Amino acid sequence: MAHKKLHVPLPFETIMQRHEREIMRYLLRVLSDPEDAADLFQETWLRAYRAYPRLEPESDVRPWLYATASNLCRNRARDGARRSRVIVLDTEESTAANAIGRHHGSLHENEGYAAVHIREMISVLPTKQRQALHLRYFAGLDYAEMATAMDCTEESARANVSQAMKKLKARW
Amino acid sequence: MKIENLIGSVGGDLKDELVEELLHRSRRKIDRALKRIRRPEAAVGIVKSPLGDLLVATSARGVALAHYLHDDSDLTVTIAKLRSDFDPVDDQRAVAEVGNEVRRYLAGDLEALRQNIDLTLVGHSFQKRVLGKLQAVPRGAVISYQALAAASGAPNGARAVGNALHSNPVPIYVPCHRVISSDGRIGGYGGGVARKIQLLRSEGFDLDNSQGRIPDNIVWGHKGTKIYCRRSCRTTAHVDRTRIFFFADPKQARRAGMRPCKICRPG
Repeated sequence: MAHKKLHVPLPFETIMQRHEREIMRYLLRVLSDPEDAADLFQETWLRAYRAYPRLEPESDVRPWLYATASNLCRNRARDGARRSRVIVLDTEESTAANAIGRHHGSLHENEGYAAVHIREMISVLPTKQRQALHLRYFAGLDYAEMATAMDCTEESARANVSQAMKKLKARW
Repeated sequence: MKIENLIGSVGGDLKDELVEELLHRSRRKIDRALKRIRRPEAAVGIVKSPLGDLLVATSARGVALAHYLHDDSDLTVTIAKLRSDFDPVDDQRAVAEVGNEVRRYLAGDLEALRQNIDLTLVGHSFQKRVLGKLQAVPRGAVISYQALAAASGAPNGARAVGNALHSNPVPIYVPCHRVISSDGRIGGYGGGVARKIQLLRSEGFDLDNSQGRIPDNIVWGHKGTKIYCRRSCRTTAHVDRTRIFFFADPKQARRAGMRPCKICRPG
């Protein structure tokens, strides 16, 4: 009875202070528009706060936060696609040429043609592969963390990345 | 150039100024939005008491949780439950006083327990009502499940009262140990019957662990007539059991503003 150890989860503020920079960077790289990134950044933290009581105290916060951010990005892409489909027939699956014209946000001024081209190729990947690629190369998660973030096995996270890389290399 | 490196360069070189500026702007908005959905803070800690280890949480409004700890999984589950209504903060110092209060109370200090109780963790409105009514049962008295059910507006809900008490988040402070079966048996207790007996003993009941019944020398008092009687009084047979309290001794009954019965002369 006497040596019980109390595990009180970290205060949410501490978690925010620890991870806000990397989450912001991640969102900035995934989304092409800084305004979108700021928007989803807020959304990510509000959602995370609401869901925080349901997170097991022992589990790792970092992949969980990336999961929240990445799911929001996915939803945004989906809703964006739905919206733009009505106006022009231009979706996430648009052609590279279209996209280069579209991407003229401030973030891309320093981006070379190659990088823009790569971004466009990534955007036409299937959702899961795209998500895996983002988490791997933008957020720098390892496969175990990715598995938590994507709610899948480590093997399938690895497979998604490798499939994505294969496609990118084939089209390069 | 390798494709991996190219992917790494997507998004260009993110300028620190841009990140900082966006962070600065977003933080203010997040703070404002969080204020609206914020859960209140609660200091949490484990305190030792004569009744065993207690997991205690106190909020700005008072004691919110005093949970008898059984094992570690129990600890995890209870913290998880607490988190849906509070943001727990590990603060042993803030809760230590609760341990002292319980110790003093068991030693006989009538004023030891603080009056501020936070019933946020009480989920159901019926449970709130039951615990509210229960707070009116004074030290030195006990009430039956049946009578408490009637007082809470559910005359047939003695079992429901039992359930409501079982999940009482603040035992000791909300005195669910003062509820017994109407036939005089001690009944159950969320923290184990041994603790219930220990608490009732400290409140003046002459209890023997082996019996599992309240002693015969106690008196019962009627809420309406304000008369108290021995249990052997002939009026006992036809009294409305939903309206009586039991008192440890006549002194307690008189303290509750009752007069002795003229038939059985309980003293």
